[in-house]
Amino acid sequence: MTEFLFFIEVVVAGLLAGTMYSLVALGFVLIYKASSTFNFAQGAMVFFAVLSFVGFMEWGLPFVVAFLVTIALMALVGLATERLVLKPLRNQSEDTLLMATIGLGFVLEGLAQAAWGVEVRRLDLGIGDFPIQWIIDSTGLFISALDLTAGLVAATLIIALALLFKYTRMGLGLRAVADDPGAASSIGIPLGSIMLMVWTAAGIVALVAGMMWGARAGVQFALVDLALKALPVLIIGGFSSIPGAIIGGLIIGATEKVLEVYIGPFFGGAIEGWAPYVLAIFFLLWRPEGLFGEKIIRRV
Amino acid sequence: MGNYQMTDTDNILEIDTIEVVYDSVIAALHDVSLSVPRGKIVALLGGNGAGKSTTLKAVSTMLAGERGKVTQGSITYDGIPVTNQDPADMVGLGLVQVLEGRRCFGHLTVEENIISGAYSRRLGKAQIRDELDKIYGYFKRLKDRRKSQAGFTSGGEQQMVAVARAMMAKPRMLLLDEPSMGLAPQLVAEIFNIVNELNQKEGVSILLAEQNTNVALRNADYGYIIETGHVMLHGSAESLLADEKVKELYLGISREGRKNFRDVLRRESTRHAGIHH
Repeated sequence: MTEFLFFIEVVVAGLLAGTMYSLVALGFVLIYKASSTFNFAQGAMVFFAVLSFVGFMEWGLPFVVAFLVTIALMALVGLATERLVLKPLRNQSEDTLLMATIGLGFVLEGLAQAAWGVEVRRLDLGIGDFPIQWIIDSTGLFISALDLTAGLVAATLIIALALLFKYTRMGLGLRAVADDPGAASSIGIPLGSIMLMVWTAAGIVALVAGMMWGARAGVQFALVDLALKALPVLIIGGFSSIPGAIIGGLIIGATEKVLEVYIGPFFGGAIEGWAPYVLAIFFLLWRPEGLFGEKIIRRV
Repeated sequence: MGNYQMTDTDNILEIDTIEVVYDSVIAALHDVSLSVPRGKIVALLGGNGAGKSTTLKAVSTMLAGERGKVTQGSITYDGIPVTNQDPADMVGLGLVQVLEGRRCFGHLTVEENIISGAYSRRLGKAQIRDELDKIYGYFKRLKDRRKSQAGFTSGGEQQMVAVARAMMAKPRMLLLDEPSMGLAPQLVAEIFNIVNELNQKEGVSILLAEQNTNVALRNADYGYIIETGHVMLHGSAESLLADEKVKELYLGISREGRKNFRDVLRRESTRHAGIHH
C-alpha cells in the first residue's frame, strides 16, 4: 500500500511539474499559431522576465507592482520584437524567422545579464517547497505546496488564455491570423497588433513560469534550457494545439518523474534531463504531427 | 470639360496605366487602365496569368504581401490616391477584396468566419447580431451551416462565406477574384445572384475578375479583357457578349480552335503593334 501511495505521489508531483511545461509550451504554441515559427527565444524570455522581476523587487518595489512593471516590460519586448524583427521579415520564409528568434534569444539573454548581473538570485514567493500537512493527514500523500501552487497558477492561466481566445474579438483575430494571415489581412485584421498581443501573452506566460521555477531552483541562466523542455512537449502535443500543449506537458511531467524514480537508479540517476527527449523521438517515429496537431499533408 | 469631370467623379475606382513588378524584376502588368462607375459591376476577364489577380491586389494593396509593387501609373479609389495604404487602411475606406480560392478560416465556424469580417468595425454584440441577420438574409444557405467548421463545408459554401465575411466589413466596393472557380454551374449561378442582389440592394460597386467570361458578362455592366498584362478590349457587357472576337476566343464559339487573343486582333487589323511576347 505504501508502495502504491508513493507511486501516486510521484505521478502527482510529475503532473504538477508538468503544468509548468504546459504553460511554457503554451507560449510557444501562441507564437507558432500566429507566425508559424518555433520561437527559440522563449527560454530567453523566461530568463529575461523573471530576472527583471527579481531586479525590480530588489529595487524595493512591492510584489504586485514589480509583477505589473515586468508585464509592461514584456509587452515592450513584444512591441520591439514586432517592429524590429517580425515586421521587416514579414513574408519571408519560416526558416528565416526561426533563425531570427535564435538571434533574439541571444539578445535577450545578453540584455538581461547586462542589466541585472550574472549571479544566481533567490526568489522567495513565500510558499515553501515542503509537503502540505492537511493533505498528508487526509490522504497520506506528500505533496509540495510549491508544486501545488505552481500547478494551480498554471492551470488558471491556461484556462484564462483559452477563454480569451475563444470569446474575445482579439482572440477571434488571432485564430483568423493563425489560419490564414493573408485572408485575415484582406478583411482588415491588423497583423501587427495581433503579433503584439501574442508576444505579450507569451511574455506573461514566460514570467509566470520563470517565477515558479525560479522560486525552486533560483533565478539563473539554466532557466533558458529548462524552457526548451517545451520542445518535447510540443512534439508530443502538436505545435499548433493549445490542448496539445496542456496534455503534452502533463505527459512529460508525469513520465519524467516516474522514469526518474523507478528507472533512474539503473542509469545512475538524473535521467529527468533527457528522458523527455527520448519520449519525443518515439513520438516523432510514431506520430510526427503530435497527439493533437494537424496531420501534415504536403503536396509535392 | 464639365462633362468630363462629371464622369470622373462618378467612378468609384480609377486605374490609370499602371505597371506592376514582382520582386523588382518580373513585370506582371504593363499598361492596365480601367474604371469602375459607382454602383456598377465591372468584369475583368482573361486567362490564367493574364494579370487579373495582380490588378485586384494592386487596388487592395495586398500586392506588398507578395513582394509586388505598382511602379508606374496611379490608382484612385473614391477620390483618394492609393499609395502607401495597407490592406487594413483600404478596408477602413470601404474597399474589401475577396481573395482567389475562397481562403476561409478553416478552423473557425462559418459564423465566426463571417463575424471576423467585422473585426475592423469594433461593433458591440447586439450590432454584430443585427449585421449577421442581415447577411444571412442574403446567404440563406449559410444560416443552416453557421455552427459548422468552415473547413468542412463545400466549395460553394466556402465561397459564400468568403463573400459574406467581406460584406461584414460594410464595403462600398468589393473586389471579387474568381468567385466561380471550381464550382458547379448551379452554384455559380446562385453566387452571382447573391452578388447582383448585394450590388442592387446594398449599392456595393464590384470589380470582378473571372475566367468564366460568359457568366461574368451576363452579370456585369461593363467588361475589360486583359492578356499578359495589357488591356486588349473593353466595352459594355452586351457589346462584348456580341463581339465576334470575344465569341471566338472566350465563349467557345470557334471554327479554328483556341488561339491567342492577340492573333485574332492582329488578323483583324495591322494597326495593332508594339507588343511582344
